[in-house]
Amino acid sequence: MSVAAPPPKAAGRGTPPPRTARARKAALGLDGGTWFLLLPALIPILVLSVGPLLYGVSLAFTDAQAGRTEPTEFVGLANLADLRHDTLFWESFRIGLVWAVSVTALQFVLALGLALLLNQNLRFRWFARTLALVPWAMPEVVVGIMWRLVYHQDAGILNETLSRLHLIDDNVGWLTSLSLALPAVIAVGVWAGLPQTTVVLLAGLQNVPYELKEAAALDGAGLWRRFTTVTWPAIKPVVIAITALNFIWNFNSFSLVFVLTQGGPGGETRLPMLFAYEEAFAYGQYGYAAAMGLAMIAVIAVFLTLFLRRRLKEEAS
Amino acid sequence: MSGPTSLRTRRAAGRTGQYLALLAYLVFLAFPLVWLVSTAFKSPQELGRIDPTWIPQDPTLENFRAAFDAQPLLRSAGNSLLVAGSAAVIAVALAVPAAYAMVRKRSKITTAATGWILVSQMFPFVLIIIPLFMLLKEARMIDSLAGLVLVYVVWNLPFSLWMLQGYVKAVPVSLEEAAAVDGAGRLRTLVSVVLPLLTPGLVATLMFSFVTAWNEFFFALVLLKSPENQTMSVILTQFLGAEGVVDLGPLAAAATLATIPSLLFFALLQRRLVSGMLAGAVKG
Amino acid sequence: MRPVTCFRRASAAAALSLALLAGVAGCGGDGGSDDGTVTLDFLSLAWQKESVEANKRLVAEWNEEHPDVQVRYVQGIWDTVHDQLLTSFEGGEAPDIIHDAADDLTDFAYGGYLADLTDLLPASLRADIPEQSWRTTTMNGGIYGVPFLQEPRMMFANTGLLRESGVRIPTPADPWSWREFEEVAKKLTTDTDGDGGTDRYGVAWGMKEPVSQSVNLSLSTGGGLFSREQTDDGPKNRVGYGPRDSAVAETIDRQVNEDHTAPRSSLGMSGSDTLPGFFAGRYAMVPLNFSYRQLITQQAPDDFAWSVLPMPAGDGPAGGLAQGVSPQTLSVAEDSDHRQAAADFIAFMTRPEHMAELAAGDWMLPTGREALKDPALNTEEYGWRTGVQVARSLRPAPVLGVRGYREWSDKIATPAFQRYFNGDTDLDELRESLVEDGNLVLDRYQR
Repeated sequence: MSVAAPPPKAAGRGTPPPRTARARKAALGLDGGTWFLLLPALIPILVLSVGPLLYGVSLAFTDAQAGRTEPTEFVGLANLADLRHDTLFWESFRIGLVWAVSVTALQFVLALGLALLLNQNLRFRWFARTLALVPWAMPEVVVGIMWRLVYHQDAGILNETLSRLHLIDDNVGWLTSLSLALPAVIAVGVWAGLPQTTVVLLAGLQNVPYELKEAAALDGAGLWRRFTTVTWPAIKPVVIAITALNFIWNFNSFSLVFVLTQGGPGGETRLPMLFAYEEAFAYGQYGYAAAMGLAMIAVIAVFLTLFLRRRLKEEAS
Repeated sequence: MSGPTSLRTRRAAGRTGQYLALLAYLVFLAFPLVWLVSTAFKSPQELGRIDPTWIPQDPTLENFRAAFDAQPLLRSAGNSLLVAGSAAVIAVALAVPAAYAMVRKRSKITTAATGWILVSQMFPFVLIIIPLFMLLKEARMIDSLAGLVLVYVVWNLPFSLWMLQGYVKAVPVSLEEAAAVDGAGRLRTLVSVVLPLLTPGLVATLMFSFVTAWNEFFFALVLLKSPENQTMSVILTQFLGAEGVVDLGPLAAAATLATIPSLLFFALLQRRLVSGMLAGAVKG
Repeated sequence: MRPVTCFRRASAAAALSLALLAGVAGCGGDGGSDDGTVTLDFLSLAWQKESVEANKRLVAEWNEEHPDVQVRYVQGIWDTVHDQLLTSFEGGEAPDIIHDAADDLTDFAYGGYLADLTDLLPASLRADIPEQSWRTTTMNGGIYGVPFLQEPRMMFANTGLLRESGVRIPTPADPWSWREFEEVAKKLTTDTDGDGGTDRYGVAWGMKEPVSQSVNLSLSTGGGLFSREQTDDGPKNRVGYGPRDSAVAETIDRQVNEDHTAPRSSLGMSGSDTLPGFFAGRYAMVPLNFSYRQLITQQAPDDFAWSVLPMPAGDGPAGGLAQGVSPQTLSVAEDSDHRQAAADFIAFMTRPEHMAELAAGDWMLPTGREALKDPALNTEEYGWRTGVQVARSLRPAPVLGVRGYREWSDKIATPAFQRYFNGDTDLDELRESLVEDGNLVLDRYQR
């Protein structure tokens, strides 16, 4: 049993289904009942996700751009060749990796702790569980604006509180200092993504067979041993699923950071997806933006395969 | 050897530690909401002050009045609820059987589908928008809430499938085999054995899908034109002006009003994140 | 063939199955209807309450006068208007009448999405708006928008502190020179509580968008950064960064990094971020756009006295107060089935009395000569008259019509200016980025 790790080469290709129903059935060995379960979900995905996506990928090999005045031509690998020399993009790639890895890791560690706490039989648990979902409930549009206010140098509540507590003497420019900006936006990223990971893990914790836990407790197993032998194996599929997804999403996100810093100061928080977004929407260079998309898929796929492989081996042993 | 007293003390200390840790979490997670609510009750003059306070010095309801005056908040909240709710329910309803099949009936097609799910989450969203927009236009679904629901269903499906696979894997196959021996068909096994065990995962995925659709902004912006169709996320942006100027008080008031129903909804739903059934099921 | 068209064909079958799948067909609505009435969509970016009301009132008035051409008001927002327009242009679903800003029109005009208004507008409107304003929307051989509102950057000052310091109060007829301004800033910078740290700065430069400010203000010293050069391949846009281009940026740099009359901390702020410090007396002056007056009247404490001054003047040939602006515009979509009707509506919205009403609603200046004379805009209150007097010094922003400007600004110029003002790099390094890396970017757009 495994979490299917897509081979990296599948990334750009997107396996097309065989032509006829019979051929499919013969080739893939699925019976009618399974198709009945699968199709309702697969058809909408095929029409509205696979189609547009393959089209998007195909743009990477053309010089497609906004506007109806220029004809679009096939340019082969020219976009990818240009991309190789785009130092600004690769610099932002580095920032993107720092961002995605730190946010994903912190999200996971903090969410696991919170989920374990919320799974305890504590008083006001319902209240705590609800408050823990605040970042989810707040409309995304205001999240960036509220955090800008929190971090505001002159009139921000963070500087105000810290200086009341005599932790700082001078107001700190959280979002404008070259060294603090990235950590500051990472904190917001973790904050914003914590509820989803917590809820998913909390649901996963319900799969932990209570008897096993009790049995382990009776055997005199310590907290840590109980966690590693009983809890962890039960939530592992969910942990892998959510961490992989979180990593992809974090690597691909940019709008929250954009609201906070516009990619500044001095380009220190320019995430790679912001490049692709601006390339497509602000400069109208669809072809080049699609090439950036391909590069990102390739890198994420490599990371993910490494991550999922290791987990698979652990699972097997 | 630790006597019963010291054991109890240690346990009490552990409890206190747990409460403190929880408190720290909640402060971190909830303080922006406190700030939002506080902002909603401040006058423009107080919002321009250099020494902000947590508690409004001269609380006013003016922002709420202004927000209701400026924008059709109730109608847009109703639209959002309708769209996000239907999209979440439909996506999860389609995803459950498919996720089950993908876990239990491995084949090339299910592997390809799983791979596709991940790839679809990796590709820049911006490059998919235009072709998707064209598709919806061909289907004459521009400016209709049904079209938006369809987009969100497709949007929610990949991660619903991916997450639900994780939960399905945790259901012991032995239970289903037992049911099969009892002569239950596949669909019945799914409904009567697997589904109850999946409840926490289902709820988590539902909440996930709902929030994603509730917050989505760009598709709602480009697909819907008629003022009466607008969703909450679009309406909220109308408090934003050029160059980062924000009509902060009314925005905070509207955002507070948008946050509270979601929180109530979560408060009700969170009970379902607990499943007592699994324990009983394994025993049986 | 443009990609979207190719895609459209390929996707027709898929779309059909999609419609069946969902079993719902939404309403398309492309403007025409059976009884001959035409419905035009007007995407408006009006934001302030008075302005939204003025727009809606004018739309209602038009609809009453023109039963056969009905206009539907659609609300847009500045943050996302570019993305929204691009998507609907590509999808062939663009609104007929489009409110935007001149600097956002360049790519749409060259992309063939906007209608050339040259022959669609009445002569009276063409004559009422001065030539320099028309130049902001004239590109690629046509006129792609009616520039109707604009705002200069002004120096907002804390009246009490200014009086106290005894400096000369500048007027549009007799503004401060940049040198004089630096001296004023020094005078206003103090350590009021005597703890050795500055707690009042002469000026706070909110430079969240450092590029447009640096470029537009450079006109006062005769700069402009962008020029058209004749090359073997025809005219090409080039970036240069000589002493006249950089004089204002150097002044800001001196104030932040040498004189310490401007705080480094405000560099990352937007205009509205600097206001709490301005109200609290932490900053004696803040340069802001003219329309910020509305926010200030709302947020300033009751006893706070403020005045609107002209920006310091340089020695540029276009006049010392010259600065670049990118006016707000009204355009017509090329795909509109009723371009003349849409242009008529624009002409209606920009009649002198209407233009003045819209300007007052947004706390901005109208471009039209007649509207500018409106008594409501010529009062002493809220610095209206100072703004009107500066209006004739406004020039098209140098970046207008330069393809690739956005990319140059995002990737090269913004980080380069941020590092320069932050004291990380010197003028030579700034020039090298702006010019050498910058021209590489521009070249990509004019092969």
